[in-house]
Amino acid sequence: MQPALLLDTRDAAANPAPEAPRAAPCAAPGADGFRVGRGEIHAHHGEIVQGMFYSSDGTVEHGLVTLPCTLFRTGVRFRPLRSGPLTVEPGDRSRAKAAARLTLAALGRTGWGGAIRIESNVPVQWGCGSSTTDVLATIRAVADAFGAVLEPEWVAGLAVAAETASDSLMFGPGRAVLFAQRRGRVLLDLGGPLPAVRVLGFNTEGECGVATLTLPPVPYTAWEIEAYRPILGLLRRAVERQDAALLGRVATASTLIMQRHRPKRHMSELLRLAREAGALGVQVAHSGTVAGFLFAPGAGADAGIERARDGLGRLGVPASWEFSTGPAPHPEDPS
Amino acid sequence: MSGRVIHANYVDAIALPRVVWLRPNLIGLAFPLMKLLPARFIVRRALEEGELRPGGLIAETTSGTFGLALAMVARLGGHPLTLVSDPAIDAPLKRRLEDLGATVHIVREPGPTGGFQQARLAILERVLAENPGSFCPRQYGNPHNPGSYAPCAEQLAHAAGAIDCLIGTVGSGGSVCGISSYLRLIFPELEVIGVDTHRSVLFGQSDAGSGRLLRGLGNSLMPPNVDHAAFDLVHWVGAAEAFLATRRLHRDHALFMGPTSGAAYLVADGWARENPDRLGAVIFPDEGYRYQDTVYDDAWLEAKGVRLDVLPRGPVEWEHPHDGDDPWAFFRWGRRSYAEVMDRPGASLKLVQA
Repeated sequence: MQPALLLDTRDAAANPAPEAPRAAPCAAPGADGFRVGRGEIHAHHGEIVQGMFYSSDGTVEHGLVTLPCTLFRTGVRFRPLRSGPLTVEPGDRSRAKAAARLTLAALGRTGWGGAIRIESNVPVQWGCGSSTTDVLATIRAVADAFGAVLEPEWVAGLAVAAETASDSLMFGPGRAVLFAQRRGRVLLDLGGPLPAVRVLGFNTEGECGVATLTLPPVPYTAWEIEAYRPILGLLRRAVERQDAALLGRVATASTLIMQRHRPKRHMSELLRLAREAGALGVQVAHSGTVAGFLFAPGAGADAGIERARDGLGRLGVPASWEFSTGPAPHPEDPS
Repeated sequence: MSGRVIHANYVDAIALPRVVWLRPNLIGLAFPLMKLLPARFIVRRALEEGELRPGGLIAETTSGTFGLALAMVARLGGHPLTLVSDPAIDAPLKRRLEDLGATVHIVREPGPTGGFQQARLAILERVLAENPGSFCPRQYGNPHNPGSYAPCAEQLAHAAGAIDCLIGTVGSGGSVCGISSYLRLIFPELEVIGVDTHRSVLFGQSDAGSGRLLRGLGNSLMPPNVDHAAFDLVHWVGAAEAFLATRRLHRDHALFMGPTSGAAYLVADGWARENPDRLGAVIFPDEGYRYQDTVYDDAWLEAKGVRLDVLPRGPVEWEHPHDGDDPWAFFRWGRRSYAEVMDRPGASLKLVQA
């Protein structure tokens, strides 16, 4: 499916004020009506799969499917000003500021300023999409200030323009998509949410992270690029049948390919531990440091999760956390 | 894959198999012409990697379906094609290849060792040397042959989810080794059963003696693309058993396929009966049209001593892939290399059963 707006990042850098697309609903309360806008979004816990995928026209694109995570969230308040500077708090979130500027321009509010305030508990540089949550919550807050609700495809274009690569969080957990993170477009709508799983998460590098936006693209081999085809075939099956076990296999396969390029510490021990604990699979942040054992939903996985937690401790992984995906509550568009 | 798609060309439209239930636990992958997958992928990669120029000559040695697939791909891509073949090529196929614009060289005498295939290779080398800039797909050694089967693995994973066993005939090492290499990334425990025939060197027999009546599987030379360590089990199926099973596949399932499909079906059907709680998939590489005057002709079968009313006996387990003559036999290969198996003649593998 085609997004409502495609923004090439190079064009956006040269001309950071894209025209407001006709498709963008700009229903302001009054002629110049505005209010304090709010935007909120949950982060993700790395990916179920990340690799290279054939698009419908036969070209090969970088793409990913993220694992939604309700433990981490970012909230943004935006107080618009008809004229004046655009400020962001904390001051180092320049991508959120760029996103606000792009959104204002797209809403026909070029020249407006305002104050962006970001509150987030998303760990930085762990591969949980902290930068993307800043950007997306900001876009939502700016739109909310003018009573606008933006289509996810359109938000994706703005997000990629603001930060060069973006995750697919704008689509929310109810709609799993294979997302071309460098182009900001959906390669494949999987037609439903990912099957529900329990996740035991941890950071393979202790408390450290990596600068995810500056990582060079992975040099996938010809065999690996082809190997993402059956992985995607199985993911489609997993979503269509809501089969958590198949989702686990998809995650492990993608983890194994990424391990050849960006190795994570203790991976062979982690894979063995996951097997012994009855996990369905192992997922990682392909550009980050978090990883997770996927378990079947429900109390049946309690013993396995406990066993995995103990095993992680023995491997020297200092902390782990648990969350569930599926029909869990998720912040809706602030409308 | 989807019926809504209008394909760019006929090769794309028929490259993937029809996926059919044969039993509650057995899926058939019925290819109109399986070799389209490697032919299309090898040519595409050669163009991308600069080994083949647009419009450049392609030359290959083949007497079978790879030549036909290559002729279709070459024609659609605007490449002249030279094929070196032996007298086993049938006249209708030769006419079809030539109608697609291919030049077909027929080698009349087998080589002193390696049979016709060695002789064909010698001619091929001459054609390549005489035509600078020409490209040879080399299906027996080109890694893009097994590499081309990812779309089939994708289709199977999407349609069936986790499967337990893949069964297919082995000739170039492309289909079974290729599909299983991709499937094992998502199903590491996948069992792989290769189907060979007597007097083929692939799994340790010798090609001495009279030629193989059953064509399209087995080989007189060892293709580098055969990854022996992929196989859990190897079966040897004789011509009569394969022909009979080909007709059963047609009579029981209306699947009009060639004799290599029959050989694979014989083994797969046996596996499915013995493993009712597991799910298998079997590869059928081509259709029956080329064999209407042979396998599908009762008089021809009778002349070869094949009776349609006699069921083949179950397979005999061999302790070693020696030159046995049981019409249907199997050996527990155990995912070992060729050297690991053949350097220990007589070594029993009963322990694999445990």
